[in-house]
Amino acid sequence: MHFVRFAGSRLVKGVIVLFAIAVLNFFLIRAAPGDPAMVLAGQAGEADAVLLAQLRERFGLDQPLLYQLWIYLKGYATLDLGFSYRQEQPVLTLILDRLPATLILTGAAFIISLVLGVLLGALAARRAGRWSDSLITTIALIFYATPLFWVALMSQIVFALKLGWLPNVGYETIGAGYTGLSRVGDVAQHLALPAITLGLFFTALYARMMRASMLEVAGADFVKTARAKGLPPSIITRRHIARNAILPVVTLAGLQAGQLVGGAVLTETVFAWPGIGRLMFDALIQRDYSVLLGVFFVSSAMVVAFNLITDIVYRVADPRIEVAA
Amino acid sequence: MQLWKKAAAAVIITGAATGTSNVWAQAPKTGDTVHVVVQPEPPSLMQGLNQNATTNMVAGNIYESLLRYDEKLNPQPSLAKSWEISSDAKTYTFKLQEGVTWHDGKPFSADDVVFSLDKFLREVHPRWRPIANNQIDKIEKVDDLTIRITLKQPFGPLMLALEPASAPIVPRHIYEGTDYRANPMNNTPIGTGPFKLKEWRKGSYIHLTKNENYWLKDKPILSEIYWHVIPDAAARAVAYETGKVDVLPGGSVDVYDVPRLSKLPNTCVTTKGWEMMAPIAWIAINHRNGILGNKQFRQGLMHAIDKEFGRDVIYGGLGKEPTGPIASKTKFYSEDVKKYDYDPAKATELIKASGYKGEPIKILGLPYGETWNRWAEAVKQNLADAGVNAELVNTDVAGWTQQTGNFDFDLSFNFVYQLGDPAIGVARSYVSSNIVKGNPFGNVGGYSNPEVDKLFAEAAVAPTEEKRQELYTKVQQILTDELPVLWLLELDFPTIYRCNVKNLVTTAIGLNDGFRDAWKE
Amino acid sequence: MNFLKRFIRNRGAVIGLVILLAVMIFAVIGPTLFPQSPWRMVGRPFTAPFTMDRFPLGTDMLGRDIAAGLVHGARVSLLIGVISTIVALLIGVPLGAVAGYAGGFFDDVLMRFTEFFQTIPSFALAIVLVAVLQPSLASIVIAIGVVSWPPVARLVRGEVLSLRSREYVQAAVTIGQSTPRIIFSQVLPNTIAPIIVMGSLMVASAILLESSLSFLGLGDPNLMSWGYMVGAGRTRLLDAWWISFFPGIAIFLTVLALNLTGEGLNDALNPRLARGRK
Repeated sequence: MHFVRFAGSRLVKGVIVLFAIAVLNFFLIRAAPGDPAMVLAGQAGEADAVLLAQLRERFGLDQPLLYQLWIYLKGYATLDLGFSYRQEQPVLTLILDRLPATLILTGAAFIISLVLGVLLGALAARRAGRWSDSLITTIALIFYATPLFWVALMSQIVFALKLGWLPNVGYETIGAGYTGLSRVGDVAQHLALPAITLGLFFTALYARMMRASMLEVAGADFVKTARAKGLPPSIITRRHIARNAILPVVTLAGLQAGQLVGGAVLTETVFAWPGIGRLMFDALIQRDYSVLLGVFFVSSAMVVAFNLITDIVYRVADPRIEVAA
Repeated sequence: MQLWKKAAAAVIITGAATGTSNVWAQAPKTGDTVHVVVQPEPPSLMQGLNQNATTNMVAGNIYESLLRYDEKLNPQPSLAKSWEISSDAKTYTFKLQEGVTWHDGKPFSADDVVFSLDKFLREVHPRWRPIANNQIDKIEKVDDLTIRITLKQPFGPLMLALEPASAPIVPRHIYEGTDYRANPMNNTPIGTGPFKLKEWRKGSYIHLTKNENYWLKDKPILSEIYWHVIPDAAARAVAYETGKVDVLPGGSVDVYDVPRLSKLPNTCVTTKGWEMMAPIAWIAINHRNGILGNKQFRQGLMHAIDKEFGRDVIYGGLGKEPTGPIASKTKFYSEDVKKYDYDPAKATELIKASGYKGEPIKILGLPYGETWNRWAEAVKQNLADAGVNAELVNTDVAGWTQQTGNFDFDLSFNFVYQLGDPAIGVARSYVSSNIVKGNPFGNVGGYSNPEVDKLFAEAAVAPTEEKRQELYTKVQQILTDELPVLWLLELDFPTIYRCNVKNLVTTAIGLNDGFRDAWKE
Repeated sequence: MNFLKRFIRNRGAVIGLVILLAVMIFAVIGPTLFPQSPWRMVGRPFTAPFTMDRFPLGTDMLGRDIAAGLVHGARVSLLIGVISTIVALLIGVPLGAVAGYAGGFFDDVLMRFTEFFQTIPSFALAIVLVAVLQPSLASIVIAIGVVSWPPVARLVRGEVLSLRSREYVQAAVTIGQSTPRIIFSQVLPNTIAPIIVMGSLMVASAILLESSLSFLGLGDPNLMSWGYMVGAGRTRLLDAWWISFFPGIAIFLTVLALNLTGEGLNDALNPRLARGRK
């Protein structure tokens, strides 16, 4: 069947891209100065040649580089992401431990930004040229132009420190031992600031896109036809314009969903959110190669998966769409 | 074999079981929880295999060593109940506590101590290894609760080398005959300490709970300790302010934040608990690189750096300007040395006279947060003012370790622990036998002076304190003249905590073994 | 001129352009205004703004003049923004042009290559690149350039694809002009407008990206950029807000100005899309 062949070929291409990324990352990270043994020694305030040799042997760093690459790729082929000798745990365990936190954070930010962005963008487009349009456009621009970490710090100071409404850091109240609904509420409270902070930038982005997209569609021929047919403006906006205008926004959002993981590094740092963005940054600083490669692999795989799903959904929804290579 | 002679030189201390001599105004309340910041997150809690600062801070409550130390660095009983030193100062006999069990319920005995000191640590511990190999003749079990260490020659510093980070006692029944570093039990550390590891949520928190079978009755008093992992320094300060955590260990917030935080209600600050470490911050100089091997040039640099500014403005006034290689809090410190005040004019003159022609000098900063960045910036400006073409190099821990350890730098910031005795913590940075690649805490600059080597070697094993003092005074005078490194500051690390947490810092290593006696009002 | 008229009619774009020009002027004449190094510790630390004539915007934690830092920072931040954008354009434009013009197999390979870079989370890749190369002006510029070229390549490819079939290009082919000559003389000049628009937005995001890298401690310690100033002052926000506030505002205004100008350019160049503004 045509569709299966299409999906299959996309999948194969995705896998090839992932392996190319894995190889590139492997060499990229090895080019960084120092190695995990040195980091441990540097942090311990004490080291000698014997210790470094012991650590390197334990980490498998005494093997030839290409052999290490072979082991690494062989593992990946069987979905074994390797072992973190620094943390004495399988990489997959470490990532799976952290993944829910990131998914909750980015998921919440994603939904907030998409819903808010589309609504605000649509509103602005309908009122194009009027003061409410200017207000929305200006606010969107302001959040678009403000560094993310700056918003994070400010919100922490205002809402956690000055007003005391929300906790400033962490995923949950440590040691409180909440279960069930009260735990959900507790996590939600901790989630509020980081999710909104992370979401604001994307809200601004989607609002701007939605507005532009609405205005573009409004000039399209089928809208003119609908107008000529005498349909009420509200129905034209809802059924014809908004529906079509939302497509590119959703496409972009789908692509960005994978990128949110990268953007989460800053948010997770400021809010001590135990997600994989932070895991990646720590692994980088600690030269915890296997963890770093693992996080890159997983987040790249997420992007590939999102792209694939977007493509397939498009193809199913509208067979006329020629999916670009 | 008759070692129990009560000669004049012998010291006998019979352990008072309580360890501290506090008289409480009220009975301490049991069952409380304390929240503490830990940053960076330790890589492992197996203290025998890993000596990261934060590993020691958390694991020091899980593992124990033979001795504890009071603020004056006098040994106190821990797993060793009492000890005796023979009159020739070569045989140390330790009596162990009775009724000690490991966290898994197995009994603790002299076999564990002999295994730890003679096998385990000798193989894996970079600080214990040279002591075990160079100073110790044999370590043996006398009976189930007695061990004996026989030295090759008298080595006074041995009594300071037995703190938890330097010589933690690990369980023989878990490690004997295994590949230590690959032992799966490294994830679930088993010690004899007052607290046990309950849960470690990576990236979030470490949860310790009371060891109900601790050998010291009525201890610990607290039930739970939560160590919070909070990566951002500013967020750590806010976490304390909003009441999320009770204790900010030294170094966990920027020194800038200390004055503001210490003004908060119910907040106490102490700089105690660092007597054993007594870190000195300095700038290592690579003597191999051209002009840096020139003494006059180095003296010019020393005059160019505004050390008072460093202490008061950058380090928040916490600490003391050092006069030389040995910290003023440590034994054998001498004030009778050459001193260098901040004098840009003189610095410019000396640097010019040394034949410096404007070649670029690279300064490698220490990648431990904003304070150290500011310090490097200020020093760079000081040097620029004295006519030195200085530029900064930014790097991370791995890059710093590699460049410093492999001698790939001009000037490199560092701070190094004194560890109680110059033979352990000071000599290593100046003797030529320690010019070895790979260790950023060795003699990285390549400074070499046979007289200094000789003085350090003799002082380590000199039989009396007076003799040692004499040799160390001499070495300090030579070093302050030749300036193998540029000493900046004897660092104080303030611990900030809620005043209702009592008895938190009672020993020379502070929080590293502090929670045994702590309680909450 | 029609274009200029349309641009001027857009109030936001004019405001943006004015801010941008002001920043550029500061960047150019800055060293004349403040001849001393901005790293110099010239005053008492923590002088509040508007209290001393010598330091109108106050001093930072080491007693360095914040006004001097801002002006010198304008130069550094703009420089980083512009150079890294040029790097991205140098990679993205030729790649996109070749892919779009050659089509077929080349197009497939080049687009896969682009996709490859778009698959790796870009901020994470930038962090890793700077850490690997060690933080310096060059490594920061390279990292930002490397993560921001794929959209350029896609844009140029799209434009070229549509231009390729135009009559005048076909005519050039027929009279036997060489392919590089056609690309450079016939096709690329017509893609310049959208590239300029995209470039102005890319400068803005490069400035933001640099400040984020600085915040994570991955800045060049020898360059006083605005990102550095915000990062260094952030731990003192509570008792000395001005240290990171002013550079934060500077980043914000510049990024805002670049965006407004870029949008204004876009609307002025594509009048059909700008209808809503009228």
